[in-house]
Amino acid sequence: MDEDNKMTDETPKKQVIETEVPLGPVHSAAIEPYRVRLFVEDEIVKDAEITIGVNHRGIERIMEGLPVEKANSLTEKICGICSNIHIWNSVLVAEKALEIDVPERAQYIRIIMAELERLHSHLLYLAHGNEVLGHETFSMRLFYIRETVMELLRMVGGNRVQYGVPVIGGIRPRAELDQMKIQKIEDGINFLEEKLSNFAERFISDPMIMSRITGVGVIKKEDALRLAVSGPTLRATGVAVDLRRDMKEYDPFDFDVITQDDGDIKSNLLMRVLENFESIKIIRQAINHLPEGSITNRSWEMQDTPITKNYVEAPRGKLYHSYALNDGRVRHCIIRTPSITNIGAMEYACIGCHITDAQLAVVQCDPCFTCTDRAIQIIQL
Amino acid sequence: MSLKSYSRARAVHVMLVYTGGCNGCDIEIVNCVLSPRYDIEQYKIFLTWNPREADVLVVTGPVTRHNKEPLKAIYEAIPEPKAVIAAGACALMGGVYKNIHGDIPSEEICGPVDEVIPVDAKVPGCAVRPEDVLAGAVAALPLLLDAE
Repeated sequence: MDEDNKMTDETPKKQVIETEVPLGPVHSAAIEPYRVRLFVEDEIVKDAEITIGVNHRGIERIMEGLPVEKANSLTEKICGICSNIHIWNSVLVAEKALEIDVPERAQYIRIIMAELERLHSHLLYLAHGNEVLGHETFSMRLFYIRETVMELLRMVGGNRVQYGVPVIGGIRPRAELDQMKIQKIEDGINFLEEKLSNFAERFISDPMIMSRITGVGVIKKEDALRLAVSGPTLRATGVAVDLRRDMKEYDPFDFDVITQDDGDIKSNLLMRVLENFESIKIIRQAINHLPEGSITNRSWEMQDTPITKNYVEAPRGKLYHSYALNDGRVRHCIIRTPSITNIGAMEYACIGCHITDAQLAVVQCDPCFTCTDRAIQIIQL
Repeated sequence: MSLKSYSRARAVHVMLVYTGGCNGCDIEIVNCVLSPRYDIEQYKIFLTWNPREADVLVVTGPVTRHNKEPLKAIYEAIPEPKAVIAAGACALMGGVYKNIHGDIPSEEICGPVDEVIPVDAKVPGCAVRPEDVLAGAVAALPLLLDAE
């Protein structure tokens, strides 16, 4: 006993080692280039800093002065994951400015595309999350399920990534749905629902995964509101905000706004799993009640309009597009994507994590740095 | 086939570098490696993120200004013999980001990829289809296998 006390007295006080761990720009856990600097004390992250700007392409600068149809198709190239929502929002800005009525059938097909895209984005998020988590079986399984959605998107839009379905006044004739395509969509979502519920059951009842992700990377509700987080990441902290409730296109559909309480990685992952079922619900309603009629309204005229803005709910949160029309060309174009505000949450979620959880804490906010890297700072010389 | 080629053919490692495209090609390429539908691993081609381990470099995107030097560094770090595949419209000709007006070249874009590093195989498409990526990877294999 005496000896033990003596030993503890003589052992030096535990020294805190402060280090900086840079991850990226090219890193295995992140497909996209971005840089995370973690300030670590004894393997616990004390502060984090995310640097973007590596893939800045200046897309608003390219859009400036283009004819509006051309600029709309260019917005699709902002992001390869949520491309449809970008072109849809850009088209909605023009329709709002020029006061164009869109036929109901075109609205329904646009919503089918948007929800299919949300499904594929959320499934990609879950697959990527499971891969970072280290559970490759689930990751492979989710990639397998996701192929069904990709095939449906290819069937409707004609391409696996960039679909280009909405045009001003309606949708592209290529995306018109006939009976065979509707049947295929129905089969696809039935298959998807079955496989997803199997996955959800196994995911929730797996004690190993649950103990790994519960209480890690917590974003508190008040801090999420302070950091202006949006989309599923905000809903995972317990705030029931969904812009789809405010969009008049979604009025005929019945769906729930899913919320979770904790704001940790478990809430974020479960949030996306449950939202998938809501998307399936919306698609099922849309194909069951698909109205007859034309798909494009061609009776509109181009005019000069002031700056018009529009918000929609992208798979990652609130997406903002605004531009003015002058002589049929786009002026004063501003685009704000959801990930730019979620960066604050990513930095915040890292703090207090073990260093092995840091990448997971970033990935839980569903980062999309391709969308984000458009901000530029003009320095007067 | 020499012993060296024989063993090389059984462990081809692909490294994916993303240089500022729209993410579509990258998702498709990762999809074609990881997803059970396309499963490039059945041809003994594996995905790696370490340039010193890699044999094939797959580049997507139009090479933004900040990505130019890192891309060169990654290319230098890959040991010989190596092959480079440029995948997607952006990597082949700059895509929609470069010079869309036809008069003012964008200052942000240093691409296409073959102006920065030498390219051996080109895979077209916006975004690339996983089948084409498989074909491109297979087309680049003789460069590795027949090298001294």
